[in-house]
Amino acid sequence: MIPIDRLPTETELRKFVGSEVYVHSEATSFVFVRNFKLRIGEAHVAGEGSYRVALRFDGQGWLRMEALTHYEVDEAGRLLLAGYDDRGRMNVALHLGKEPFPE
Amino acid sequence: MSEPHQDRAKRKLLAVFAHPDDESFICGGTLAKHAAEGYDITLVSATRGEMGRRMGNPPYLNRETMAAAREQELREACEVLGIRQLILFGIRDKTVEFMDEDGLAGRIASLIEEIDPDVVLTFHEVMGGHPDHCAIGKATTAAYRRAERRGSLYFITFGDAMSRPERYGHTRNAVVKIDVSAYLEAKLAAFRAHRCQTEMDEWVWLPDREALSRFGRHEYFLQADPILPAREFRDSF
Repeated sequence: MIPIDRLPTETELRKFVGSEVYVHSEATSFVFVRNFKLRIGEAHVAGEGSYRVALRFDGQGWLRMEALTHYEVDEAGRLLLAGYDDRGRMNVALHLGKEPFPE
Repeated sequence: MSEPHQDRAKRKLLAVFAHPDDESFICGGTLAKHAAEGYDITLVSATRGEMGRRMGNPPYLNRETMAAAREQELREACEVLGIRQLILFGIRDKTVEFMDEDGLAGRIASLIEEIDPDVVLTFHEVMGGHPDHCAIGKATTAAYRRAERRGSLYFITFGDAMSRPERYGHTRNAVVKIDVSAYLEAKLAAFRAHRCQTEMDEWVWLPDREALSRFGRHEYFLQADPILPAREFRDSF
């Protein structure tokens, strides 16, 4: 995982616009959703140091998250974003993939 | 110390827990001690701990890489503790309480019948502390009752809370107090094997002598069906 740089991260996120994706999203201590399948219409990254990400799904509303700090595109081509605190604990995660994540 | 048993080489222990690290953090000294005394130990971990919050420090894991990393750490911990068989149920972390309870208990009952353990360890279904702990404890307790085998069921407990069991509504005759002072090096090695979970705890990585001083000399267990009217703690299973 590497620290988020807004523009490259947004570029990676927007590669999923217009396609059906599987979404993993979590606020680690409170909630997770895994393998919700949705078609992405818009993708945005905002912020500095700690970032906000918003996805708008065609006819299916919004997903907005904050406190994201790191990202990577893994070997399977999945875009993984996460927010860590200063001791390595995860606060939030947002993953997008073209194939289902292992359940 | 208890007298050596003639059939000690054949004694078997089955531990049924929820996450990688439960075996090390809660009762690593006891498992190392029993392995050293010749017990054949089988550990079940219901999940791979893949929904954990600690991702290394600084973080090097993400949600998708965590399962494999924690499984590997668990295998290393088993190695240093002397646990010979590891069984992963593959239930997703944080969802054990939502599994079909009867099916889960049936799976564990089959293991009990197959292994025929002298000692079964699991979480107390109420005092387990985490929903996954309570759920695997409840299923294991049901499985133990269903299997109707010899052997005894004990619940693992946290720290030295059970040095004063009366405060928690238990009596001393239900408590087993195991002296693990000769096995703290193995316990520390197991803590360190669970690197992504312990990296943020500075004390684990202090020089051995200082790190070892943080451990208690005893680990405590609650017997599910206490039979002896002992007024003092027992010192072995």
